[in-house]
Amino acid sequence: MSPLVLLRHRSVVFLLVVAVAWGGWELFLTLTAPGRIDPALRPALEERAPLAVAITFGFAPENFHIRLLQSYGVVSGVQGTTVFVNRVSPDDLRRIARYYWVQQITMQSERAK
Amino acid sequence: MMRKWRGSALAIGRGAAPFVFILIAWMLVTRTGMLPTMFLPPPSDVARTAWEMLKDGSLWINIGASVGRVLVSLVISVPLAVGLGIFVGLRRKLSPVVEPIAGFFNALSGIAWLPLAVTWFGLGWLSVTFIMFNTIFFLVFYNTLVGVRTVPRIFEHAVRTLGGSRRHIIFQVLIPGAMPNIVTGIRMSIGFGWRALIAAEMIATSTGLGFLIYNASNFHQTDTILVGIVTIGVLWLLTDRLVLQPIERWTVERWGLVSSDR
Amino acid sequence: MERYWEVASTWVVILAASIAVWSFAAATLPVPDYFLPPPSAVLSAFVELMTKGMLPTFIGESLRRILFAALLGLFVGVPLGLLLGISRGIADFAYPVLNFFQSVSGIAWLPLMLIWFGFGERTILVAVNYTVLFPVIFNALLGVRSVPPIYVNALRTLGASRWRIVRDVLVPGALPNIAMGVRLGLAYGWRALIAAEMLVGANGLGFMIFNAQTFHLTARIMLGMAIIGALWVALDYFFLRPLEEATIARWGMVQR
Repeated sequence: MSPLVLLRHRSVVFLLVVAVAWGGWELFLTLTAPGRIDPALRPALEERAPLAVAITFGFAPENFHIRLLQSYGVVSGVQGTTVFVNRVSPDDLRRIARYYWVQQITMQSERAK
Repeated sequence: MMRKWRGSALAIGRGAAPFVFILIAWMLVTRTGMLPTMFLPPPSDVARTAWEMLKDGSLWINIGASVGRVLVSLVISVPLAVGLGIFVGLRRKLSPVVEPIAGFFNALSGIAWLPLAVTWFGLGWLSVTFIMFNTIFFLVFYNTLVGVRTVPRIFEHAVRTLGGSRRHIIFQVLIPGAMPNIVTGIRMSIGFGWRALIAAEMIATSTGLGFLIYNASNFHQTDTILVGIVTIGVLWLLTDRLVLQPIERWTVERWGLVSSDR
Repeated sequence: MERYWEVASTWVVILAASIAVWSFAAATLPVPDYFLPPPSAVLSAFVELMTKGMLPTFIGESLRRILFAALLGLFVGVPLGLLLGISRGIADFAYPVLNFFQSVSGIAWLPLMLIWFGFGERTILVAVNYTVLFPVIFNALLGVRSVPPIYVNALRTLGASRWRIVRDVLVPGALPNIAMGVRLGLAYGWRALIAAEMLVGANGLGFMIFNAQTFHLTARIMLGMAIIGALWVALDYFFLRPLEEATIARWGMVQR
């Protein structure tokens, strides 16, 4: 059975569309992730040490976001649209940067404690 | 006479044998003490709890609450849904439009309505019964609608050529023709409705079998949970044997149609 | 073509009318605001939850679980049901058991699962997979049992091995029932998933709408409901019904 015949089935078309859309979206996320991380943080990312960061959203974070961030580190406080998280590993930080709803990730300033 | 009794005794025996087997396996597992009783109490504990609950009425109250809700919802929703389904199904302009909408609400039916129901009616029997209404109504309505719409036109034409009036067509062709779908719809609605009921009772009210088993889990009363589960299963088997099969037999025999499931 | 236009225009009219009536009711009914948010509120809830990344996450979580259950049902449930159905003795033995356990939906087992596994992912998965598996196994068994013996005998007279009989007669013959069982199992399973997510609540669409009720965010509830319904319609339209139709059409059996 020629593969082209399979294309007639709506299930297959649907799956293909979903696969392409999803793949494209993941690519988009991967490409835009570094843009969310503050340049000042870049050198720290190369290290292995856990970081203390401030994650800013475009909106006031809800319980959902707090809980999500808690799976990556220790949430130490919320101020406006920013959540302060400690002990985030650099790998986890890159993962957080991939979320499209994250606006910016910066170092925690001393004052914030 | 003896043969007939022996035949049905054999049938019951064969039907019960697997359960006896399970019962024995259950007893053996709990006997070894591998699992703490909180996880799986022995059948004797469960039987004792069941007996106590039957005696002090607590099981009956919950059975009554659950079954009552099912019955009330059925009695009100089914006639309404069948009537409305036939009414809309007969209108050739309206039915193609309503069908997808009904299909969507059919897909939505059940427990997904619970938060909305609780918002409107608060916690309690009203929300739970609303869920049941809803589940039963849309399922039966949709199946009735489709049933009426898919009666082959040729039957209609046949009646017309014999000089039949619109009334004849409706009552002699369309309604009997839709019967398998209607009956299927009712059967399915009991299945889906019963499940939605148990889930809703766990979340939103304080009587009924669903509540019984969920509440028991909060107190780690595993034996009560098992009593509840067995009761649910038995009730369903009874419903199937005493209500659903006769309905199907009655309509199949009466109209000589093959029943369909959807 | 003209019929399509007629149907389409009736659709548009009904849609517009419903939105109008809904908005009007939302604005004028003497009930608290959270009772009946207008369609615009539901739309803005959609935008909001998309922007905040909550909606895709919830949808993904629910879909992941139902997908797992579907795969388990297909690759474990179907073969198991077929195996049980091949031998008459085993099938007769298994039938009442499967019937009984199928009727006790996974949600009824949830409280027991809560005791065994606590409030976590495993509880949800066990409940949902149970709900999907039993109708699948049961219907696969029925499917095999319903193949007319004459076909089996015909192949036997031609000297076919047991394996050939299974592959060429029993499996194709059982396919319509299998398709129906998968469809039914997933229908039950999707609803059980939503219920389980409400009860074990940490994530997923069920959690989303249940949680929203606590805060009277009714627009979110309605949005969630619409998505739950839409996802099932999509699943049914793109996968389940084509599967059912293909099996019936291909093997030309009168269904049921």
